[in-house]
Amino acid sequence: MSVIFLKGLAVLGFIAVSAMFSIWLERKISAWIQNRMGPMMTGFHGTLQPVADTIKLLLKEDIVPKGVDFLSWWLAPFFVTVPVVMAFLVIPFSSKWIALDLNVGVLYVCSVTSICVLGIFMAGWGSNNKYSLLGGMRSAAQIISYEVPLLLSVLLVVMQSGTMSMQGIVAAQEHGWFILKPHLTLAFLIYFISATAEVNRVPFDIPEAESELVAGYHTEYSGMKFAMFFVAEYTNMFIISAIATTLFLGGWQGPFLPGLVWFLLKSYGLVAFLMWMRWTLPRVRMDQMMSFAWKVLTPMALLNLLISGWFMVK
Amino acid sequence: MNEAAFYFIAAGVCVFAVMAVTGRDIFHCALWLAMTLLSVAGIYFYLDAPFLGVIQILVYVGGIITLFVFAIKLTANIGYKSIRQTSKQWALALFITALLLCVLSRVFAAHPWAQTVLNVPAASIAQIGRSLMMNYAVPFEFMSVILLAAMVGAIVIGKDKR
Repeated sequence: MSVIFLKGLAVLGFIAVSAMFSIWLERKISAWIQNRMGPMMTGFHGTLQPVADTIKLLLKEDIVPKGVDFLSWWLAPFFVTVPVVMAFLVIPFSSKWIALDLNVGVLYVCSVTSICVLGIFMAGWGSNNKYSLLGGMRSAAQIISYEVPLLLSVLLVVMQSGTMSMQGIVAAQEHGWFILKPHLTLAFLIYFISATAEVNRVPFDIPEAESELVAGYHTEYSGMKFAMFFVAEYTNMFIISAIATTLFLGGWQGPFLPGLVWFLLKSYGLVAFLMWMRWTLPRVRMDQMMSFAWKVLTPMALLNLLISGWFMVK
Repeated sequence: MNEAAFYFIAAGVCVFAVMAVTGRDIFHCALWLAMTLLSVAGIYFYLDAPFLGVIQILVYVGGIITLFVFAIKLTANIGYKSIRQTSKQWALALFITALLLCVLSRVFAAHPWAQTVLNVPAASIAQIGRSLMMNYAVPFEFMSVILLAAMVGAIVIGKDKR
């Protein structure tokens, strides 16, 4: 009992620190790409800036706009944040560091993160604001559409390794990462593009497009509630990178360094790649994004599944 | 301790289900229904059936409730409005459900419930897949035909009539 409790505390601590570090990393990378300095004043090269930001968010007034739908408005931040915490249950940080190695691990992550859609919907609906509603609608449509190719590409990994347990999939990659096999390289690309859309990152961040929707579904939130959306977003980024690492990049396996270090290196490498994409690519239009999911990614994922399934059975 | 957890989750299922049925705001009803289904998934996890629990969340909460919410938002003049809770035939419905409750409670009272838990090995996903594809292949395929028919029907209804 107390062990589970300690594991939960460890996960919460990790999420807080990871989100703070990711925000600092994002600001530094954006500054580097745009030829600026980024945060420099607080601590060494601005490393204490996220701490200051957190204190600021904690002390801010929690504004409740007039006419909000109270139930959905209050519950939405929790519906977005809690599934993200739950997903950490099965992430294998190293051979021993995994809270619980469920035998349906991959499916578990996909299912708990699908709860986030409801939270986004609730935030958009409950805020009583047309920009929030539009953002929530767009985001939900996008997440549902990209979930199809995402699950199909994850399925291919499950077929290859013959197990859904996270540690089992890592063990199956002992003699070569899955990304090195041609059909799984394609699956990795489909997974990563869909996952980028799932977490509303550029080039698929039309639900939060500042130029037309203010800030999308979290426009009306302030203080700690806004911080919860922010933490969920950055932790989601870490989760999709961690899943990609586990499914395609050999998980915690690697020479010389301990497993935990390898896992964090690979995961944060992918997080940095996502940030690099954000500050490089332009935003795509809503209709382009939806047709890309349904007309390109989904058929490609299905075809990939069919062809490689054929070869696996033969 | 363990039993207390079960009763806690079961109470959650009941409370949320009642909220889902009695709420006046249809969007809130959908949310309470989502909470009900999540609690049912919790019972599955408690009973050591993680596969069932995971599928419950993925299909019902991630899929069906989201579609409900979409439909509520896309239907004009339905959100934010209190809609009548009862249909015109509520008396008949009450009678039928009362009858059903009577029959079911008599059946449950008469049934000799096992007092000890049989030592059933937890079904692995491979076993579930094998039985779906071999023993129950015909019903399984039949389900997909029904789904296809539903899909075609939805497309026909949604088609632009010109």
